[in-house]
Amino acid sequence: MNNNKYKILLVEDESNIRNLVSTMLEASEYRVITATTCKEAETMFASHMPDLIILDLGLPDKNGLELLNYVRNESLTPIIILSARTDEHDKVEALDMGANDYITKPFGSAELLARVRSALRNNRHCSEEGKLPGGKFILGDMVIDYDARQIFIGGNEIKLTQTEYNIVALLSEYSGKMMTYSAIIKTIWGYPDEGSIKKLQVNMANIRKKFGIKPGDKSYIINELGVGYRMNSDKN
Amino acid sequence: MKSKQIIKDILITVSTLVLCFALCLVIHNLLQIEEHITTIFVFAVFLISLTTNGYVYGIIASVIGTVAVNYAFTFPFFEVNFLIFKNLVSGIVMITISILTSALTTKVRRHEMIKAESEKERMRANLLRAVSHDLRTPLTTIYSSTSALLEEKNLSDEQKENMLKGVKEDSEWLVRMVENLLSITKIDSGNVEIIKAPTVLDELIDSVIQKFKKRYPDQNINIDIPDDIVIIPMDSMLIEQVLVNILENAVQHAKGMTELALKVFILGNNAIFEIKDNGCGISHEKLDKIFTGLYNTKPEMVDSQKRNAGIGLSVCATIIKAHGGDIKAENLKSGGAVFRFSLDIEDNTGNM
Repeated sequence: MNNNKYKILLVEDESNIRNLVSTMLEASEYRVITATTCKEAETMFASHMPDLIILDLGLPDKNGLELLNYVRNESLTPIIILSARTDEHDKVEALDMGANDYITKPFGSAELLARVRSALRNNRHCSEEGKLPGGKFILGDMVIDYDARQIFIGGNEIKLTQTEYNIVALLSEYSGKMMTYSAIIKTIWGYPDEGSIKKLQVNMANIRKKFGIKPGDKSYIINELGVGYRMNSDKN
Repeated sequence: MKSKQIIKDILITVSTLVLCFALCLVIHNLLQIEEHITTIFVFAVFLISLTTNGYVYGIIASVIGTVAVNYAFTFPFFEVNFLIFKNLVSGIVMITISILTSALTTKVRRHEMIKAESEKERMRANLLRAVSHDLRTPLTTIYSSTSALLEEKNLSDEQKENMLKGVKEDSEWLVRMVENLLSITKIDSGNVEIIKAPTVLDELIDSVIQKFKKRYPDQNINIDIPDDIVIIPMDSMLIEQVLVNILENAVQHAKGMTELALKVFILGNNAIFEIKDNGCGISHEKLDKIFTGLYNTKPEMVDSQKRNAGIGLSVCATIIKAHGGDIKAENLKSGGAVFRFSLDIEDNTGNM
């Protein structure tokens, strides 16, 4: 472990959940600072420059989305949303506004820590190599060769169409980040139209088939019903 | 919704009148019979009052009918003449019939609505009773264990771990219960119609299995779904819950089960979902009420193994009904039980 601990800003108004999440994170060698309101969080963000923000959407003074907006205006600090099942709609909105991922309450500590690791890793990858992918992406036995535009699984090349490749490459570029349908559509096809969700769904179905993924298998691409897709960045 | 109803009523009124008028023309001109014209119009007015909402259409129809009979079919032909006493009488008769029929149908409709409402109320009360009863057990475990952990200093590590496992298990149970209740309120609250979005079957099944495996990592499921891409309009969160509930129900209640299978196939315009197990099957008295959530309120059913059974399945029924589908449970001749439900695959409400 390095001495240089990651600093995480936790914004949550419920004291029990705040204590619990802090404890889970601190036990895994993260430094945690907490805020209970949007206003407090803004100050904390400006003065501490955390490496990651965990944000509950239902805050007493303002909607958490406003804080998200405030942070995104300043920086690309990864943000994980804590969502309850009742604000499903807000969750998608938050992702579209630039949140990296979300985790639904109630959650276990393993789940939380995996998301945190994933978000931190994704951010590091971006800042080191810039936004344009070059070279190779390796995950388990999958290799994406960005220069040759080829994908290999276990050494065998998977033949994908242009669009299918673009989708997989996009997900890998943002591995660990939950990409909403509309975010993927915007990047792959430009402006969305009537049938674009269906187009995306059909392309994804073909990708899964070519990858040989059966429903329920652990796979490289995780589908989140009604929200979008994410490429795993943890090997498990 | 409302404007659709109005258009439908207007269509019924106009088409019935036109048909009636044409019929009268035929009878009058070809067969040269004059006596039954009024009767036919009275019948038309009766039909209109019976099938439309409220009094308006029936009354309008009877006025039009009176004028039409007067104008076209009584002497002097093709002239309006209300001075003839007979015409006036037939007009009054038609209007009276229309008002009486409308009053009667309105009354019947209102009665049906009240009946459906009280049925719903009864179901809700039953559900609430069952839920509050079921909540007590896990809460007891959680409360007692945590207070023991905080206050008792002489517990062995093993004892502590067992208590914590119990707390975790029972809070997982609570989470599922709350999920189910949320789904029901989502459907029940203020007639909110389910928002269907096109969902890829593959992804739905994938998500269901991932969720299920998290809870039951050792339970194998045979999956059989079409090779083609199937897109079904649905509220995917809710249908996912239906599938998880049914699978979970099999794991918890099908004693002696060694095989669990999930099959989806297309039949005409429907996607049929089938969950089969080879366990102990469902007893007859339970089979009738399995989707109403009532049977588990009987005292002999309430042991710690059986709780939650009725609620999960009645949630399934509510969700499928709200999707306009059908759900059934049967025993298999070869032993075990099968749950089957269908969803329409025609994309007529897709709104994404």
